[in-house]
Amino acid sequence: MRNKLLFGRSIDTGSWVHGVDPRAKLTGMILYLAAIVIVGSWPALGIAAAFSLAYMISTRIPLKYYAKAAKPLWVLMVFIFAVQCLTVKQGDELFRLGSWALYTGGLSSGLIAASRMALLVSFTAILTFTTTPGLLNQGLAGVLTPLRVIGISAQRLTLMMSIALRFIPTILDETHKILKAQAARGADLKEMPWKEKGKMLVSLLVPVTVSAFRRAEELVLSMESRGYVIGAPRSEYHLLSWRLRDTLFVVSYVALVAAVLSIRWI
Amino acid sequence: MEGTGLAFELQQVSFAYGPEQPVLGDVTLDILQGSWVSLVGPNGCGKSTLAKLLGGLLAVNSGSIIVEGTPLLRETVQQIRPRIGMVFQNPDNQFIGATVEEDIAFGLEGRCLPRAEMVERVKRYADKLEIGHLLAKHPAELSGGQKQRVAVAAILAMEPGIVIFDEASSMLDEKARGELLNILREMKHSGKYTMISITHDAEEIMASDRAIVLRDGRIAADLKPRDLFGDEELLDSCRLIAPYEVRLVRELCRQGIRLPAGYCGEEVAEALWQLYSNK
Repeated sequence: MRNKLLFGRSIDTGSWVHGVDPRAKLTGMILYLAAIVIVGSWPALGIAAAFSLAYMISTRIPLKYYAKAAKPLWVLMVFIFAVQCLTVKQGDELFRLGSWALYTGGLSSGLIAASRMALLVSFTAILTFTTTPGLLNQGLAGVLTPLRVIGISAQRLTLMMSIALRFIPTILDETHKILKAQAARGADLKEMPWKEKGKMLVSLLVPVTVSAFRRAEELVLSMESRGYVIGAPRSEYHLLSWRLRDTLFVVSYVALVAAVLSIRWI
Repeated sequence: MEGTGLAFELQQVSFAYGPEQPVLGDVTLDILQGSWVSLVGPNGCGKSTLAKLLGGLLAVNSGSIIVEGTPLLRETVQQIRPRIGMVFQNPDNQFIGATVEEDIAFGLEGRCLPRAEMVERVKRYADKLEIGHLLAKHPAELSGGQKQRVAVAAILAMEPGIVIFDEASSMLDEKARGELLNILREMKHSGKYTMISITHDAEEIMASDRAIVLRDGRIAADLKPRDLFGDEELLDSCRLIAPYEVRLVRELCRQGIRLPAGYCGEEVAEALWQLYSNK
């Protein structure tokens, strides 16, 4: 189970992408997201794919890891593909089934939409693969600093998020333990009809929630005894320094957005 | 360092979670700096509550606690807390950082230490507890014993004079428990720490200087660990089992083979060898 949780795990290969300032990476990812949203044709998709592939290769992380990161979302991709095929009625008719017909336009936009999704998920994995959670947090705090204007503390927000992320595997493990305990008492989730399964999940939710609260309480004690005071000044273990490389990194993403935009408008 | 001063002075300390739930009543005791004290007693006797009061995580209802000469009050708690480190029972629920390195650094960041000093301390204390090779690991990749080592490293890196172990070994397997005990022994040996450990582990109690027995929120006995294990009735009331060698000597005594009382560990083995060769 633990090994399946690729999300939030960094893989250190020491590539130059690993060394890029996390704030630059976050900004880059937002720009990438924008570019992907704009992509609407095969040439634009080609540019985005080439760009993504170049970055993925330069992280020196085997490509199969990126594929794995995108895998859990295959149902969504199939769904997006199917919706496009069913609704778009442009281009030539490929074949007909009763009152419904598949058009080339539908097939093409379905494929583009599904590839966009795959690209987005596998590419954003670069962020978590090449950045340790601590650095990512610090980067996030940096990017979110402007929120101070509306009275939100970026440091508190990121601490909250990092603790939530840190406890996901712990709580998942516990859920599995409770499931097994219930199965041992004769309530095996696998052998139940769907309606029973739903009820069972509610009875699972109670102990898991209670235990999460208990954990939170103990965590607070531990944080307090280590001198954590909300809002007190803290020094930072990870020092971020913006270099020319980081600017170039962001510029490459701006260029991607520009390229995709120009294809759309021409 | 032992005998140079008092780490804790408690005067008639009482605590209750509510009017119907008195937990501690009239606890008065002194703890010497540099000593290692075991707090023992049956479950629910108020040991953990006492530990939290000592660590400033709870406030007394009445009575007073003085930590190294400074009264523990609402106004002074932030000033006193850095001198006291606490290691808790569940290794998972005290792991704050997403990696070992960040977890050790968490307390140091709160101290506003400069980065160079943080890096140096993280490395020094990680090496000391032999977790240097685990610095980049996520807690889900560590065993319970390793996580507990990280917790100890994170506390020691803050360089407190007092360390409280609240059943720190109770969720560990035998091997990890033995390793933790060795860490405690080394800490005692270094002379830098006043240690208070809440425990049910006979070996751990035996290794400490003094055992304080709590029952129903009051101090039932305050004695040397050897004397505690010599008192069968007291042991039974604390639901403790004496270490193997103590039970062995007692059983031999019942069988009519007398060994001088108060032996522990190696001494028992030596005495047995002598008995054997005198035959």
